Amino acid sequence: MQGIKDKKKDPIKTIFALDAIFATITAIASSLVLFIIAGILIVLITKSWLSIKEFGVIGFIFSTDWDPVHKVFGAAASIYGTLVTTGFAMLIAVPSAIGIAIFVTEIAPNSLKSPIATAIELLAAIPSIIFGMWGLFTLAPIMSEYIEPAIQITLGRLPIVGAVFSGTTLGIDLFTASIILSIMILPFTASVSRDAFNLTPSIVKESAYAMGATQWEVIRDIVIPFSRRGVFGGIILSLGRALGETMAVAFVLGNNHQITASLFNAAATITVTLANEFTEADSDIYLSSLFYLALILFVMSFVILAIAKYFLVKSRNE
Amino acid sequence: MSDLMELEVKKLDFYYQNTIHALKNINLPIFQNKVTALIGPSGCGKTTLLRCFNRMHDLYPKNIYKGEIFFRGKNILVKDLDMIELRSRIGMVFQKPTPFPMTIFNNVAYGLKLRGIKDRDEIYQFVKTALMEAALWDEAKDKLNTSAYDLSGGQQQRLVIARALAVDPEVLLFDEPTSALDPISTAKIEELIVALKEKITIIIVTHNMQQAARISDWTGFMMLGDLIEFNKTEVMFTNPMEKLTQDYITGRFG
Amino acid sequence: MNNSNKRKIYNKIALAACSLTAALGLFWLVFILGDVILHGLSAINLDIFINDPAPPGVEQGGLRNAFVGQILITSLGVIVGVPLGILGATFLAEYARGTYISQIISIASDIMVSVPSIVIGTFVYALMVKPLGHFSGWAGALTLAIIMLPVVIRTTENMLNLVSWTLREAAFALGAPYYKVIFQVVYRGAATGILTGILLSVARVAGETAPLLFTSFNNTFFSLNMNEPISSLTVSIFQYAMGPYELWHKQAWAASLIITLTILLITILSRLIIKRRYGR
Repeated sequence: MQGIKDKKKDPIKTIFALDAIFATITAIASSLVLFIIAGILIVLITKSWLSIKEFGVIGFIFSTDWDPVHKVFGAAASIYGTLVTTGFAMLIAVPSAIGIAIFVTEIAPNSLKSPIATAIELLAAIPSIIFGMWGLFTLAPIMSEYIEPAIQITLGRLPIVGAVFSGTTLGIDLFTASIILSIMILPFTASVSRDAFNLTPSIVKESAYAMGATQWEVIRDIVIPFSRRGVFGGIILSLGRALGETMAVAFVLGNNHQITASLFNAAATITVTLANEFTEADSDIYLSSLFYLALILFVMSFVILAIAKYFLVKSRNE
Repeated sequence: MSDLMELEVKKLDFYYQNTIHALKNINLPIFQNKVTALIGPSGCGKTTLLRCFNRMHDLYPKNIYKGEIFFRGKNILVKDLDMIELRSRIGMVFQKPTPFPMTIFNNVAYGLKLRGIKDRDEIYQFVKTALMEAALWDEAKDKLNTSAYDLSGGQQQRLVIARALAVDPEVLLFDEPTSALDPISTAKIEELIVALKEKITIIIVTHNMQQAARISDWTGFMMLGDLIEFNKTEVMFTNPMEKLTQDYITGRFG
Repeated sequence: MNNSNKRKIYNKIALAACSLTAALGLFWLVFILGDVILHGLSAINLDIFINDPAPPGVEQGGLRNAFVGQILITSLGVIVGVPLGILGATFLAEYARGTYISQIISIASDIMVSVPSIVIGTFVYALMVKPLGHFSGWAGALTLAIIMLPVVIRTTENMLNLVSWTLREAAFALGAPYYKVIFQVVYRGAATGILTGILLSVARVAGETAPLLFTSFNNTFFSLNMNEPISSLTVSIFQYAMGPYELWHKQAWAASLIITLTILLITILSRLIIKRRYGR
């Protein structure tokens, strides 16, 4: 009897101790996330401090100078490139993605739904460097020889709008970069939209059909309004992804720190600048300015994510 | 019978996915301006039959109708039927309230806008009439431009009825319309249905026998895809002809 | 034209437009993949795998060091990132389930997932490369681990949450301590999902280039020394493609083909696993 009692006391203590140890390990592992995020923020601010002190906040963001020789730096050109490529890419990708999502959820026969979903996933899995390769060696020449001249001859002749399509059509420019970026974010946006559309209860759709609505009318008046918050959240998330894309754009953007009205000119984005120049920075202020750019990008993605989350959470609570 | 037939079902068979034989040789009349109830245990085919009247089954692939359903003399089970026209003459209310993601006003006006009615005053009149007929006008008139989701369950169901009424249908199909509602809302809807039959022919599927006994003029009892019995409601519930009907009504199963 | 017909025509046009976008999406997929396969196949030869880079102009150079380096860095990143991710997710889904802190960490994970990978590269640069004074394979592996961590946490957390609570209760009722319940019941139940999550995050980091540009950098020589800059396929592709030599471009295509096929295979594999386990 004594022996059994002893056996029962110790194992239980050990078990609780083991449990506590394991729980602690998992807690530490998960808290790493908090530490890393805080760490990134702290490191970025610390490393850009030199540049922040030198150029200020407003001054840096709005300055178009980028002169490693004279050690004067400004983020405006990079920010401009980032905004233009991302904006233009979204303009093309979002309607296409919604169209794909509508096709997959409403139009495609059941047997096609799975293969198409797989195709979308495959497109999403292709790493961005492959997009870059394809962009540089295949798309850019096509752009340069056929597409961009064609656009220049037609839209380029219009007043005001024409300025957007002026310049030598080398193919290494904002236009090509935006097209590639739009293909990159297409699958993700389509997936999120599809998931949002699938949340529409079929009984509500049937209700609309019972009123004599056509398939398109049901999609336009019921499905899309029902899912608008989820779709919007997904769009914002895609925006965040596009913002941080590097390699797909680095191959075909050139790296020209200029603010240019024409989409057919080379430019720079924050990510491409970092990719091309980080290892070339030969002065402390240069490196610090690059960290400053990274900080700006970090803050931008953070804000975008917060907005996206707001909409996604709201859509789930409806 | 001196009553006019609004619809007539003749030798109807129905197959889900081309395999499941869900309706077997159904023959029954639906009389004008009367309430016809379809009752029976779960899976008996009453909802399947209801959804044949407005061809809801066409929304999904491989569903097959065999036989005929005549609507005022014309067979509506033909292949190239205009669904838009059919569904504007035969409306449907579902088990759960299904307001659209729009304002109360736009919900009711939806069918009208689809049909291309643009004149705002005209639309307003139709909406007002429909809401009054659905006994929702008083409760809704001050919040026509608020979201339909802000209404209670019972109010939402009346909104759905108003929406169906706004396009002036000849027939209204009700698929267990009160199964998701509280007793008070249920009573209101039942009152509404009895009032509506002055203008409209009504077919209601219900798993609640007492409801059928309360509000319907004619009742059809179904089981496993067959129409076991069809008779005037008072007769069905006091002196049914079939033993199965008797068993169901006295609660022996289902 | 009456209202009914007008609406039907409009309907057909709208649906056709949507089908067109789907066709467009498929077109891009086929175009890009086809291009990679076409260029890659014509450039692949045994030299790529067996030889190390040769000076420009000299034939028969290869990318052996890049293959090895890529495998080294990625494996190390996986070895560090995956266990930490699973443990972290275990905390969120089990011990801290429903608590405030788990919500905060989940949100922080989402934030981390959306941080551009190049920013993570700058972080590791400041942390490891600058202080030590040189690029290293360790820095590259650390970067990949950091990129992987939140992805593994989120997918694992979702999978663990899918295991029904009653399963755990049944185990508790038998007197099992929590950690045993986790290992013997929860992990078992979620194993397939967790595995797929791991595969997908591996597929994701295997193609990363930008953050490696200034952590592991590149090395034209064969090296197994993680303390030095080490070669990777992705960075090599970038440098070769941007370089002026036709021979280099060919090798970049060959490497691209290998990477693309590997990643696509992993993706398809994970989809198959999910299909088998969870049905349609």
